[in-house]
Amino acid sequence: MNSPLFERVRGIAADILGVGPSQIMPQSSSENIETWDSVHHLNLILAFEQEFGVQLEPEEIDQMNNVERIIRILEQKLNHHG
Amino acid sequence: MAIAIQPYGADLIPAVKAFNQRLAAGGGVAPEFHFPENNIPHWLPQLEGRRIHQEYYLAVDGNCVRGGFILKYQDFFLHGKPQPLVYYHLPVSEGIINKAYAGVGVHMLRSALKLQPMLFALGMGGFDRPLPQMLKAMGWSLCAVPFYFRVNHPAKFLREVAPLRETKSRRLLAALAAVTGVGWAGIKLTNSLRTSSSERGLFVEQVEGFTERDDDLWKQCREHYILIADRACTTLNLLYPRSKNFLCIKVSRASRFIGWAVLLDTQMRDNKYFGNMRLGSIVDCLALPENALAVMQAAMQFLEQRGVDLIISNQSHHAWGGALKSSGFLETRSNFIFGASKPLAELLSPFQNNQNQVFLNRGDGDGPVNL
Repeated sequence: MNSPLFERVRGIAADILGVGPSQIMPQSSSENIETWDSVHHLNLILAFEQEFGVQLEPEEIDQMNNVERIIRILEQKLNHHG
Repeated sequence: MAIAIQPYGADLIPAVKAFNQRLAAGGGVAPEFHFPENNIPHWLPQLEGRRIHQEYYLAVDGNCVRGGFILKYQDFFLHGKPQPLVYYHLPVSEGIINKAYAGVGVHMLRSALKLQPMLFALGMGGFDRPLPQMLKAMGWSLCAVPFYFRVNHPAKFLREVAPLRETKSRRLLAALAAVTGVGWAGIKLTNSLRTSSSERGLFVEQVEGFTERDDDLWKQCREHYILIADRACTTLNLLYPRSKNFLCIKVSRASRFIGWAVLLDTQMRDNKYFGNMRLGSIVDCLALPENALAVMQAAMQFLEQRGVDLIISNQSHHAWGGALKSSGFLETRSNFIFGASKPLAELLSPFQNNQNQVFLNRGDGDGPVNL
């Protein structure tokens, strides 16, 4: 996965979770990144909303617990936005 | 499967029990943070015609419960006008023990805000806890509700209070101060230097509850605070039922009723903060701001006469904080945090300037369990 979207998500996630960008992979998740707790999860959500100008629904938020799903949900949102 | 937020139905009781068992097994989550194992609230259930009540919500993932929160609906008065508000409390998420569910806390909070934008939170255990951090990130306005204490029996206080027992050296110093009387003398001197002389001519009576006659005072007082929860007699009798250990006192001056206080006198047993002290709490109170000192002194003397070792109170309004300080109370770091959602904070704007004109105390919290 080397899409521009992935690179933007990787940069944001690395910054918020306090890890190197190389540690953010599609399979990275709250289960394998130590600092990814509930507070950091919220900060990720808020950062994605700001960066991509989207509003994430409560139902989407707890599904976004790994990078692959984050990309999928953001892609859907951005396509829907047109 | 996507997690859905839904009201707590009786069919989900076994799933809540399983959720609590996972919390207990997974990380030693204390029982007070387990979600209620009955879908009908024991405290303030929803009954026809009752404005103040609680509703339980769950985060449900197929047949499993992954979290829950409570909404307490209550009428407030904002700038003297009725304003219903909703208190968001006891959010518990499986994310505490399993990071695969790290998003459940945010999901629940956003869902609660969608249901009720005029939301607030109270208590929360300190700014460093996850919930206040999440609220802050979401743009809520937060402030501590100041905590005050007064030591009546210094020797016991020095032996029992938790911060003095945290390290070996502190324990030794506290024990020495307790035995030699040095600590006793210091605390007594501090109390006497800080305490204003008591007002003469006050009449204090212990009562069994509140009546409609007390509502005149409530109607006068609600105009004097930027934000205050309904304290009409019907609400007070629900919050402080006779069956519990609440001590209600009414204070009069020259035969005129000027205020009341609800108190607790509790013998602690190996409490993590208060050891084995006999703890007096000023749970709730009401008076015009200018009569706060008279009511606080009456409450303090009432509890002193009962023999409590320590008296504590949380009060947000400056007049009540000032009254406690003038009664010999000391202020220390408070873990009792008030958080206002964005729409509520806008109504309290400027929040930083107005926070000490909001009237909040322990009585506005999550009920008898944490008083």
